[in-house]
Amino acid sequence: MKKVDSFKILTAPAVIFVFVLFAYMLFVYIYMSIPIFQWEGCGIYLTNIWHASEIPAEEYYGIAAAIWGSVYTSIIAVVIALPLALSYSIFVNDFAPPRIKNAVIVTSDVMAGLPTIIYGIWGAYVLVPFLRQWVMMPLYSTLSFIPLFSYPPVSGYSYLSAGVLLGIMVTPFASAIIREAYASIPHTYREAAYSLGLSRYEVTRIVAGMIRPAMVSGLLLAFGRAIGETVAVSLVIGNTFNMSISLFSPGYTISSLIANQFGNAFIYEHMTSALFAGGLALFVIGTAINMAGLLYLRRWKQNVKF
Amino acid sequence: MLSFRQIKDKIFVGLVLAGTFAALFPLFHIICTVVIMGLPAILSRGLVFFTGTLSQGGIGPALYGTFMLAFLSSLIGLPVAFLVGLFVYEYPESKLGGFVKSLLQIMLEFPTILVGVFVMSIMVIPMGTYSALAGAFALAIIMIPYVAVYTAEAMHHIPTTYREASFSLGLSRVKSVFHVLVPMAKRGIMTGVLIAIAKVAGETAPLLFTAGGLYETYPQGVTSPVGAIPLLIYTLIQSPSPADHATAWGAALVLLLIFIGVFVPIRMSLKEVKM
Amino acid sequence: MVKSMNGKRVRMVLVVLLLVAAGVIVFYPRTGNVIIIRTTGATFPQYQMQTWISEYQKTHPGVKIEYNGGGSGYGQETFLEGLTDIGRTDPPVKKSTWDAFLKTGDKPLQFPEIVGAVVVSYNLPGIKTLNLSRDALAGIFMGTVAYWDNKAIQSTNPGVSLPHKKIVVIHRSDASGTTDIFTTYLSIINATWAEKVGAGKTVSWPVDSMGRGIGAKGNPGVVAALQQTEYSICYTELSFAMEENLTVVALENRDGRYVLPSTASIKAAVSAVAANIPQPGEGYKENLTQLLDGKGNTTYPIVAFTHILIWENINDRHYTAEDARAIKAFLKWVLTDGQKDNNLAPGYVGLPESVAKIGLSAVDSIHS
Repeated sequence: MKKVDSFKILTAPAVIFVFVLFAYMLFVYIYMSIPIFQWEGCGIYLTNIWHASEIPAEEYYGIAAAIWGSVYTSIIAVVIALPLALSYSIFVNDFAPPRIKNAVIVTSDVMAGLPTIIYGIWGAYVLVPFLRQWVMMPLYSTLSFIPLFSYPPVSGYSYLSAGVLLGIMVTPFASAIIREAYASIPHTYREAAYSLGLSRYEVTRIVAGMIRPAMVSGLLLAFGRAIGETVAVSLVIGNTFNMSISLFSPGYTISSLIANQFGNAFIYEHMTSALFAGGLALFVIGTAINMAGLLYLRRWKQNVKF
Repeated sequence: MLSFRQIKDKIFVGLVLAGTFAALFPLFHIICTVVIMGLPAILSRGLVFFTGTLSQGGIGPALYGTFMLAFLSSLIGLPVAFLVGLFVYEYPESKLGGFVKSLLQIMLEFPTILVGVFVMSIMVIPMGTYSALAGAFALAIIMIPYVAVYTAEAMHHIPTTYREASFSLGLSRVKSVFHVLVPMAKRGIMTGVLIAIAKVAGETAPLLFTAGGLYETYPQGVTSPVGAIPLLIYTLIQSPSPADHATAWGAALVLLLIFIGVFVPIRMSLKEVKM
Repeated sequence: MVKSMNGKRVRMVLVVLLLVAAGVIVFYPRTGNVIIIRTTGATFPQYQMQTWISEYQKTHPGVKIEYNGGGSGYGQETFLEGLTDIGRTDPPVKKSTWDAFLKTGDKPLQFPEIVGAVVVSYNLPGIKTLNLSRDALAGIFMGTVAYWDNKAIQSTNPGVSLPHKKIVVIHRSDASGTTDIFTTYLSIINATWAEKVGAGKTVSWPVDSMGRGIGAKGNPGVVAALQQTEYSICYTELSFAMEENLTVVALENRDGRYVLPSTASIKAAVSAVAANIPQPGEGYKENLTQLLDGKGNTTYPIVAFTHILIWENINDRHYTAEDARAIKAFLKWVLTDGQKDNNLAPGYVGLPESVAKIGLSAVDSIHS
């Protein structure tokens, strides 16, 4: 007779609870999205129209602009985060004296946990005016023939502002992963490289090359964080249904669209469903990216044994 | 005369220093800004800022609400998270264990606004009222994966010899885990709990459609609406009134101090954290 | 050694936290046995509502009224879901939403609370007065008038040196009654607008796809965005413009005069028509356009009633008897004493007596 494991009995309810909770969450998002797919098919993801009306036949929602905004701002964020996180990892592992090293790591961790609303208030009242005055204006006045800078930075609320703010917010996440990977390369490798007469730059380049998979996973996970962020972004993105490659133009993200519109969605026949479909898209993109990041990380940890 | 290689090396070192500085500088700027903007508001209003209602120029109900939400969400989330963490630790090789572990990772990254919308649909609308309970439930969903992952990690750090020893004494799994191993990992688990509380106390998005907000009176109970500092800041910062802005910056300073007060001492006692 | 130190630190934080929590619970001022009424929705009457609340609470310490913004759409939704006691919406509720209200098994009541005006504000450094013709106004919000020194604007402002800067149009990002009133007005004065954009609580702003639109939440959000953005223009409620010292546009009215919004020019609009308010139980029948684009030399063109939503409370479905009595007393005060000049916030005009009476009849019919 098989003995019943009382430990399993004790923990099973909690595990089942978490599992059911998650399944239910997924179910709610899928179930609530169905009506909008019946109403307009894939148009919800492919068009950029936001036409709310109390006459249901006139309603049409297309959130392409918000999806684009979420992806675009997150890309800007990781483009900013990568060099910062890499410099930080090199500094912490190779250059910093022990005391400073610890302080620097703690600082980065504080940044990772800092309430996002604090980033938001700082972003809206400090970062946006700064970027507008010192980055967007000069770039626009000198390089506006490049499509990226072609848009006049009228308000400062823009993809760039959101991307930079997100970049600052996700750098600590990417940093933590890259730093750990960087530290896992044994010192003997570095010493061997130095003994060949290589410079610090050349040695670091070799070591950085060895942790490339960890860098990729750090970026993917940072991207996943960035795309789900809500309040800080909604304060600096501009909240308009605009789809543009230009960094200085305002836009929307899925999460800020939900934050702005979910509160009044129920009075419209299809808007609730449209927002749930947006949430579903956000969930699918975010989870896919995060899973890829975690897989990369796991594979790197398994394969690379020094 | 420096050689080309030496110049390149110098530039490289300069870039690394600049990059590190750029990564960390925002935090100092944020702290300075929040202090400079928030401190005058708090000082000019004195104690009223902490106990008064919004129309009196205070954030009392929001402060109370934040404590209340942190407490309630811990009540809901911690037991579940603790047990799930133990499960993941005990069955790392089993299919279910691996699956739960992946599930926790996904939940860790789940966009928090989606949690808020979910809780609104399943709790707020059926109950017919925003409530502290709904807000706390949303925060608990966010808290669970953190605490579970921390619990599992803390247990992992116990040398396996202890585990083997306790099993060899003939203790059952329950006894060896709860009586021998958990006490050994207590510190690590508590750390996870505190970090998770610090984290959820600062969350805004999950409360947008669940807590409801309450700033003129103190919370009446768990089934009625409640305010929170992050939620209050989010509302006030979108107002044009200078008085509202002053309150928002003051509230941001309070939130910052709460976060740093909990997080930094905990962090200093550890080698590393996962956020 | 180091380890035990660290353990102590964790314990210390825990103890401090517990002490703080205990202190908070013990020493916090408890609000005794008070009744809390929640009002949610339109931000158009924000300053008026807040004035009423603070005045009323002075004489009624047992009642606390919690003000929430969120916009008219949010007001209607929270009212529908029973998440608020008193809903606020600027435009009258539409038939479809009214039917949804009725499905709850209770009867909704809608009546005007106050009269306000939508003003067009701008942020142009150094420019204190600006006249906009009907075409220029529609053109700016359509996006066809893209620069401040466009002929359509310059021609009505001789002598004003307008900058050659792009116009940033700030609009609402939530479902807003202010937007509904404003876009309804634009549809009245401009056929192209009516055809291409139309009216509603949310519309697809043509300027958005030109990258010159900015969305902000609530009237407060719009005004905050305007203050932070040079060369921008927005529409908001008059009281916000007065409270925040915004520069406002003199709009061309039906008689071709340029009129600034003021209490007097709003009163002129109200007196130009005999307001036709349906019975509170049939609120969806009300016509939003009745105060818009009124006749008269001194009439400001964008004037509207803003409304309150309450439940008749059949079988105590939405309010307890105690709450219902408090709500009735408060609303009765709003419709009588509240309409007197000393209780009005700057930028609002009291209801004509006949209209206030309709509200009072609604308040009386609440079951308590």
